Amino acid sequence: MASTSRQVLGNLAGLGVLLAIWVVYAVYFSPTQGWTFFFQLTVNGIILGSIYALIALGYSLVYGILKLLNFAHGDVYMIGSFIGFGVLTLLGGPLSPAIPVALLVLCMFVAAMLGSGVLGLAIERFAYRPLRDAPRIAPLISALGVAFFLENSVLLLFGADYRNYDGYELISYNGIHLGGDAGVFVSYLGVLVISGALLLMVALIALVRWSRFGKAMRAVSFDREAAAMMGIDPDRVIAITFLVGSALGGAAGVMFGLVYSQIYYLIGFLAGLKGFTAAVVGGIGSIPGAMLGGLLVGLVESWAKGYLNGNVADLVVFGILIGVMLLRPSGLLGTPALQKV
Amino acid sequence: MLKKIGLVAVLAALISVVVATTTAWGSAKAPRTASAATASVKCGKTRTIGMAAPITGPASDIGNQQVRWAKYFVKRWNKKHSNARIKVVMGDTQLGVDTAFAVKAAKSFASNSKLLGVVGPAGSQEVVASTTAYKQGGLGFVSGSASRTTLTDGHTDGNRRGYFYRTVPNDAAQGPAVANWMTKKLKWKRVYIIDDQETYSQGLADGVQKILNNRGVTTKRDSISQKDSDFSSAIAKIPSNYQGIYIPWQLAPQAQAFGQQLQAAGKGHIKLFGSDGLFAPGVWKIAGSYDSAFPYNPASKVVQTYVKAHGGNGEFFGLPSYVAAQVVVGAVTRACKAGHGKTTRAAVRKQIAKTNLKTSILGFSVAFQKSGEMKLPAAYGIYQIQKNGSFKRIG
Repeated sequence: MASTSRQVLGNLAGLGVLLAIWVVYAVYFSPTQGWTFFFQLTVNGIILGSIYALIALGYSLVYGILKLLNFAHGDVYMIGSFIGFGVLTLLGGPLSPAIPVALLVLCMFVAAMLGSGVLGLAIERFAYRPLRDAPRIAPLISALGVAFFLENSVLLLFGADYRNYDGYELISYNGIHLGGDAGVFVSYLGVLVISGALLLMVALIALVRWSRFGKAMRAVSFDREAAAMMGIDPDRVIAITFLVGSALGGAAGVMFGLVYSQIYYLIGFLAGLKGFTAAVVGGIGSIPGAMLGGLLVGLVESWAKGYLNGNVADLVVFGILIGVMLLRPSGLLGTPALQKV
Repeated sequence: MLKKIGLVAVLAALISVVVATTTAWGSAKAPRTASAATASVKCGKTRTIGMAAPITGPASDIGNQQVRWAKYFVKRWNKKHSNARIKVVMGDTQLGVDTAFAVKAAKSFASNSKLLGVVGPAGSQEVVASTTAYKQGGLGFVSGSASRTTLTDGHTDGNRRGYFYRTVPNDAAQGPAVANWMTKKLKWKRVYIIDDQETYSQGLADGVQKILNNRGVTTKRDSISQKDSDFSSAIAKIPSNYQGIYIPWQLAPQAQAFGQQLQAAGKGHIKLFGSDGLFAPGVWKIAGSYDSAFPYNPASKVVQTYVKAHGGNGEFFGLPSYVAAQVVVGAVTRACKAGHGKTTRAAVRKQIAKTNLKTSILGFSVAFQKSGEMKLPAAYGIYQIQKNGSFKRIG
């Protein structure tokens, strides 16, 4: 009971921090730049943050169950974006799609999620499972190795050229104007990303909270040995967790390609780093934390790029990470690790 | 106490071993580079040159364009000269990441006693960092894209005269051409300038901004990173009443993404103006945008064959690297001939300095001043992107 109320308090504190940053930004900058500008940046930040949140969920799920920082996750996201692009090209490309656009986009998402999910399964099976009982540094090194392996494989297979989704050509340059023509603009692509990310997050929460698998997942996360004694197969649960986390990464890759157009073999590095930052800021291992962290990182990046010079955005994002870590080492919604005394 | 002393002794012994090994390694290495620098090389049927370019890393897209163009020249050369074939050794410099890559590549070239000259590096910062290694190795190096003006003044960024040459006009030639077009032809009064945080881009942005400000044009400045894909916040900052955005960047796909996001944000009426780094017909295709670039000859058979072989994509950023390869290979061939089948790196450097290409696929002749600059730097051409993605020369 006490831990539940502590968690609720933690959640409130996290939201409070988010709100405080928002208010400081708004009060300090808006009189000179205008509120429309502020809300435009906020919408941009939510779109970006939705993608970071999906990536962060992949980190958090794996960490929650294995206590492993899966540094290859950023590259799984990159592979997802390439699979989506491959489907787009196979089905006629953005300018002359061979099937209705909605169906094409659905195919891209399904293929990217399946492909990335299977890749996640393979990574778990061949790079992490053999090291399950090794010292914790070993799978970490293995994760870095997998990341480089994936990057260089894509470089060798597809070259260093950028690929352009031309998402706006495919879907539309149009969107919704909130508050009139001079108001805040949200492109239809932005709407697709926000609603798609929300849908996937809700599905994930439902899976973890209310399904039999979710129960098994939580049990393995809590105590792997005890879960095994209760008849749960931890290997299977861990494998499916990788599948789910990687599939979310794949979906994020397609969303990124659609909205921001260009993909190439190194996009996973920075996005992975931001996703990881989001997971840690939110409280690694916590699903709502990953979502909140992603949103926060996206918003801060957008505000920083909007109000400050573009070359300090990353400085601000990672500065916030340090700040949050100093104030709340377990992240905004993370629970402090219990220590046996 | 004894234990402590023992530990210290072991540590000291270890340090001595490391120092001795390092010294031995260093002394073994130094003469190798030194001897390679002055060695007489038998030319034989295959001569070796190096190519330093960002083959991997964020700028690998443009780096590989340079590699493909340089190798295209070598392929054509080898087809015609079976008794004087050229072998290209690659060195990955990356770009804008860590200049240590460029230094490592230069040192590796310098210690390869068969290697006679180098095409590259691509970036000005990489040129500055690796000059010492090239000079120690006695190697001449010809860049097809390092355009920082101060590289050849002999003092600001170090002295590399007699070693460094470039087949691309410097930034001092490009900036005024751009500013003139903006103010005299387009009559722009408000220009937004965004650099991509690279030396090339910042130099051009600074130069153009200075000229525009002197002419009473209102400018605003921002910066994005070459790793950025989300420009929505940078675009939100651009006032709708600005007439143009100057983007002297190096990655054409990034300019394309920027243009699309600009259009999606309802600011498509503001015209984009790029630099030679964005000269990539078919990749950057925001219709109505302007670009400054060297006046290449699109009717050239060499250019047309390349474009056809690459699915219609000219990858024109790599054109000067084709000419750089032409310069190095020509110098090696002449040096071998003069040395009756034997040559040295110094002889090759002398021949690079004597280069005199009456015509080139860049659309102008190529010969060098003592500083390493071309004698007749071409006036930059101004192009406009058409609806089909092609670049039409308009000035």
